[in-house]
Amino acid sequence: MATGNKQIQQLARQLYQLSFVNGVVTAEQVAGVLEYVEKHRPPNSMAVLRAYQRLIAAEVARGQAVVEHAGPVDVSALNAIGTAMARKYGRPVTTIEKRHDALLAGLRVRIGDDLYESSVAGQLGALAESV
Amino acid sequence: MFSTLHVLAQAASHAADAAAAHGEAASGLTKITQDFGISVPDILAQILSFSVVAFVLWKFAFKPVLATLDERQQKIASGLSYAEEMKRKLQAASEESSAILKKAQIEAGRIIDEARKSAKDHLEKQTQEATAKVTDVLAKGQQAIELEHRKMLADARSEIARLVVTTTERVLAKRLTDADRAAYNDAAARELTNV
Repeated sequence: MATGNKQIQQLARQLYQLSFVNGVVTAEQVAGVLEYVEKHRPPNSMAVLRAYQRLIAAEVARGQAVVEHAGPVDVSALNAIGTAMARKYGRPVTTIEKRHDALLAGLRVRIGDDLYESSVAGQLGALAESV
Repeated sequence: MFSTLHVLAQAASHAADAAAAHGEAASGLTKITQDFGISVPDILAQILSFSVVAFVLWKFAFKPVLATLDERQQKIASGLSYAEEMKRKLQAASEESSAILKKAQIEAGRIIDEARKSAKDHLEKQTQEATAKVTDVLAKGQQAIELEHRKMLADARSEIARLVVTTTERVLAKRLTDADRAAYNDAAARELTNV
């Protein structure tokens, strides 16, 4: 079982590496990989596809900055955040805007597993924690 | 005894014969015996009968009585000796019992002293242990009260903070305008771009 899992992870990682073009995951490459898997049907193909999906989703999340906000936000501010994150992580980062009124005011940026926040709700939470 | 009586009778008879033979020389003695009515044969017979009675008495009365007396004398002496022995033994037993009693009294005194000392030590030990326990219980109680007090203060502080934050959030949600939020968002964007 352990050996099977290892083989699945290894194959998923190989497929994941084939999905890059110039260090970026492209939709065309992913489609090609999926077509290859559908055509050849490797052993445990469903498990391989699930592992491949997790890897691709993590890579996509690393290239996306989800910007949650309460109230209006300028596009220039969003672009500036995307530029700053790309500079920080050393790879292209696209921003996705998402309204979140519970923040009251301010922004929360989630990129991969990292979280950056400058909001009224966050400051009130920090205040409550510090008391 | 018999031989003595026989010799006496022969001597008396020989004396009488000698007196009769001498006649004149013995006339005084004869005259006395005649004056007092003494008859030699009677005397001899009385001596003989007396001797027989004396012998019988000696043989069958005096000797048993004397033997009985000797036996009683021995018994009395033995009894006295036994009494003396018993007296000595009693004295020795009395002295021994006195010594044992004295020794027992000393031992009893020593045991009583040890018991008193042990009781005193035990009492002191118990007192110290009780004092230590009381101190420990008091300290633990004080600690528990202190912890409870701190916990209560922390809970109260946390609850107050939660209420303040909730109230503030509600107030801000109602009072903040879009312009306020936009201004805050611009400031937040500037902050985040400088990360």
